[in-house]
Amino acid sequence: MDVLKDIAEQVQLGDDERVHALTAQAIEQGMHPTAILNDGLVAGMNVVGKLFKDHEIFLPDVLMAAKAMHAGLDQLKPLFAKEGIPTRGTIVIGTVKGDLHDLGKNLVGIMLKGAGFEVIDLGKDVAPETFVETAVKANARIIGMSALLTTTMPAMKAVIDLLRQGNHQARIKTMIGGAPITKAYADQIGADAYAFDAAKSVDCANALLGG
Amino acid sequence: MTETARVPIEAIAPSFEDILRGQGMPPQAIVKDRVRDLVETSQAILAAEAQPCSITGDVSRAEFDGIFRGQGRNEAEAPLKDIYPRARHLVLFALTMGRGLGERIEGFLEHNDFALAAMLDTAASLAVENYVGLLERRVAERYAGNDAAADDSVVLNYSPGYCGWHISAQDQVFRYLDPRQIGITLNESQLMTPLKSATGVLVHGPRAIHEFDIGFRFCRACRDKTCLDRRDRLSSVKHTTLEGAAWTS
Repeated sequence: MDVLKDIAEQVQLGDDERVHALTAQAIEQGMHPTAILNDGLVAGMNVVGKLFKDHEIFLPDVLMAAKAMHAGLDQLKPLFAKEGIPTRGTIVIGTVKGDLHDLGKNLVGIMLKGAGFEVIDLGKDVAPETFVETAVKANARIIGMSALLTTTMPAMKAVIDLLRQGNHQARIKTMIGGAPITKAYADQIGADAYAFDAAKSVDCANALLGG
Repeated sequence: MTETARVPIEAIAPSFEDILRGQGMPPQAIVKDRVRDLVETSQAILAAEAQPCSITGDVSRAEFDGIFRGQGRNEAEAPLKDIYPRARHLVLFALTMGRGLGERIEGFLEHNDFALAAMLDTAASLAVENYVGLLERRVAERYAGNDAAADDSVVLNYSPGYCGWHISAQDQVFRYLDPRQIGITLNESQLMTPLKSATGVLVHGPRAIHEFDIGFRFCRACRDKTCLDRRDRLSSVKHTTLEGAAWTS
């Protein structure tokens, strides 16, 4: 089990080369990919997420940890596919139509991947139809939308309306965030969850999926 | 008449401390060696890749009426709606850092180099802000009265997409300035390429016209409140001369 503890620690330190080597070692030792993911990579990112939430570390630390996590995750993905191991669920994320601010959205994607979710990142300036079509096609459980501008916030409601029109709202939940977004706005447009920041997005996703 | 300019990146490059602040790090935070490396690398890439250039053009208040109105999608009440009619001069601007930076940022993201991508993104965004500040000073200098000490005029920028001015006004700005000549294009969502570009209006007028209460409908939803920083900056705006820029009419 020490190697998993080491992986978690090196993820926290953001040492991608060490995480890569340790993950390879764990695979070679025959450890189950799910154990490597949950007890090594995700465990490390969970600590990072908490420290970030508590303002004990800052954005560069989180992003270096994320790179380290990916160094391990990239080795596990083929094993998950080969053994048909399900992920914690698929989440489609993107910055809404008319908005190109994606730093926060990228961070949300990193935190969600770090928590073991499969993330489809549609990028920025994403049309409402693209959000919904992608989520339906990928059997996603959540659509996460980000906006930085007060003038682009209404595009979030367009996605929610489309989900309703297609009768998808029971299966596909919505989570929104971004500088101008508030809980009141989320309630007003009928979003299922409001993530104050990237760190909170994991809690929201867990709550929406009953995790 | 429009004026194009190319400025040296040194004139607008953000400081080490500003980049860290832009990354949300408080001044008292201990800077680890790896973070220091990231900042310095982003500064080096910015210096190597940025090709800052801009285009500006004066417009009358009557012309700006239509530009501000855009496609008629502004908030019913917005600060700029009350500010520009009291302006002494209005100057449209578009500027870009060039294509290279956006491509480098995308490249780092593709290789999971999130920290460097974000650091470079921050550095480039700050350079854009500094460039806008430089244009403000350029306009202030041009319209400064003979008695600069007695002149209460200041210049502040306002951009479509912010504070109730709908992003769809971009197409009007483009119609007047044609920023394609400096390599900026607009997509169907009114978003610009290259990524690190900005447009808007530089409003020259008495200091008092830029002061407004943040009680607009959209202010309630805004967590950024960058308007407060801008308002604070009003008291320190000075008329300075920029050396090293090549201005062409």
